[in-house]
Amino acid sequence: MNPELPAEAVELADAAARAFAALGDVDLARRAEVDPSIRATEVAPVLDRLGVADLDPRDDDVTLAAAAALCEAAGRVALPYPLAAALVRDPDGRPTAAVPAGAARVDHAELFPEWRVGPLDGSAAGVASSTGAALHTRLGPFVGDLTPAAGDGTAAPYDLLVQQCLVAWTVLGALDRAVALATGHVTGRVQFGRPLAEFQAVQFQLADAAVAVAGLRELAGFTLWRLRAEPTGARADVLALRLHALEAARAVLRSAQQLHGAAGVCDEYDVSVITRMVQPALRLPMGAERTATELARAIASDGFAGLFPHGADLRATGEPGR
Amino acid sequence: MDFDLGAGAAELRTRLRTLIEQHFDPGFLGAFTDDPADLEATQAFCRLLAGEGLLTLAWPTEYGGGGGSLWDQTVVREEMWAHHEPRGAQYMGLNWVGPAIMAHGTAEQKALHLPPIAAGEVIWCQGFSEPEAGSDLAALRTRAEPVGDPARPDGWRVTGQKIWTSYAGMAQWCIIAARVGAGERHEGITMFLVPMDAPGIEVRPIRSMLGPHHLNEVFFDEVPAGPDAVLGAVGGGWSVIRTALAHERVGIARYARCERLLSEMGRVLAPHWDELPPSLEVAWARALVQVRVARLLAYRTVRAQENGEVPDVAASSARIAVTQCDQAVAEVLFSAAEHRSLEAGPDAPVHGALEDHWRYAQAATVSSGTIEVQRIIVAKSLVKGASA
Repeated sequence: MNPELPAEAVELADAAARAFAALGDVDLARRAEVDPSIRATEVAPVLDRLGVADLDPRDDDVTLAAAAALCEAAGRVALPYPLAAALVRDPDGRPTAAVPAGAARVDHAELFPEWRVGPLDGSAAGVASSTGAALHTRLGPFVGDLTPAAGDGTAAPYDLLVQQCLVAWTVLGALDRAVALATGHVTGRVQFGRPLAEFQAVQFQLADAAVAVAGLRELAGFTLWRLRAEPTGARADVLALRLHALEAARAVLRSAQQLHGAAGVCDEYDVSVITRMVQPALRLPMGAERTATELARAIASDGFAGLFPHGADLRATGEPGR
Repeated sequence: MDFDLGAGAAELRTRLRTLIEQHFDPGFLGAFTDDPADLEATQAFCRLLAGEGLLTLAWPTEYGGGGGSLWDQTVVREEMWAHHEPRGAQYMGLNWVGPAIMAHGTAEQKALHLPPIAAGEVIWCQGFSEPEAGSDLAALRTRAEPVGDPARPDGWRVTGQKIWTSYAGMAQWCIIAARVGAGERHEGITMFLVPMDAPGIEVRPIRSMLGPHHLNEVFFDEVPAGPDAVLGAVGGGWSVIRTALAHERVGIARYARCERLLSEMGRVLAPHWDELPPSLEVAWARALVQVRVARLLAYRTVRAQENGEVPDVAASSARIAVTQCDQAVAEVLFSAAEHRSLEAGPDAPVHGALEDHWRYAQAATVSSGTIEVQRIIVAKSLVKGASA
């Protein structure tokens, strides 16, 4: 039993954090909204120097953990780049992403000429190319649509699960940062003659947010292990992680913004930018309720690892019941 | 990264499940029922575990224990709680009264108390909470007055009232916190080991939804305690309490019973699973995720202990998650049982375990430290980190 990320992963995440800070931290996302080209001219070269091109999370335990730690670091600064998708490349260098059934919509679509995409139910996977237009909205500034393209590039179900696991690690980074920002704010802001952090109502919100993030972190680590230990049986695990990430995000971001007061919705404050920039990860390829429904189906068909059997692993008995 | 507890843990888990299956009916719901046979069954099971070397698996070998790893202890805790604690009330003596005596007791106290605990022959209760000292334990008022020369007392007279005392009606011994001298708050708090048949002790059961025997008031009226009844130093009780709590930081493995009941009820529902409301299937999936997260947070605390850390914040985080999980799962199970959720007894769904669990879960966020206190611990740690 060892829930710790390997040292190589921690070192890479530290190096990434320094590199992202040098690019301006959350300001990088602010600048990218004004000039999206900096994703290619500034972010991509930094990722190259960090060795992203040589890092394949499907290689072994260490590369998977390193990719996860890197995504967490990206989430902490709302890095304007589809890092999880880019880490799961096909042999032709196309990024891999799970997409909504019947709507090939991804974050940063136009950053790559071609993608390899598929829904999480394993149907209709293939190559798609960008339509070139982004939504340019406040909650999805870089989100764009893809159209089917010629080419051999079926997205393996495992690759889609790895990408979704890495997206959850990105969300983890965003939430961890949001709690840190909220903590910093309520520690420094004085109202009624004392720091907000001294009010118990504030303490309770902080504590609940911190516990949600701590739980998500453990589940995210566990899911990495399941992806390696049970590569063909980890669908329910990844859906469980996605569901928990989405639900934690809803609660944690809400608290983090609330604790900032009106500043929580102002882009001058990092918490607002992080909350906006993480939205595509929470809505694509599907939101919490559809994820929960898919998880219930996956448990029914595959079971759910734990101390006792569940779903498909159960055998009915004649015990008193309904 | 590796979340496998190892082959030894799996073997221990199987061994414990086999023993429980051999010695308890599927409808066993713990020692605290109206049927005295349940208490007797747990007493016999403790002696059996002692004979198998499993009762004191967690104790150091120098005290006759098995020197088991923290992960072995975790497996024991999970399996016992998952199966309605077949050790009955004795877990308290095993889990922390014994370790507190090891850490603070005299040679005589160790010789007197540790062998009966290790043999599964004695039930302890703890006299901590008082009517005016709940979460704020340092506000306790129970007093111990010296007999004879206060500088070298011949003994003590303990007077006061304790409340919410589990197992007081069946315990042979009590570890009680009382105040000596004029000090306030933590100052002067002293721990005493007192036999429950000492004159001046009166136990009054408190009727509660938890069922019989659980909660009691205990009145101490000039209860005599010898000089050898003090555990640790006079006035040094707070450090004894801290030692005791350190052994209970991980807390009860409530998540394990939650998971077992979801599994058992899932088995009952399996033939009708497709007829369930889709929203219930989804709630079930969410409950399984919540149980997994609670277990992983508890494992993080164990890991911190393994690394020699004092995992206050990790333990509080785990407790918040585990106790909330307990209550959420109780609701999901009741939704699944529908009109039969209110039934109790062997003919009720899962032999009455759902009904028992729902009642017991209502106290989860209060017992052993309220969820509010846990939140304050977590929040203060965050703020301290931000201010540093």
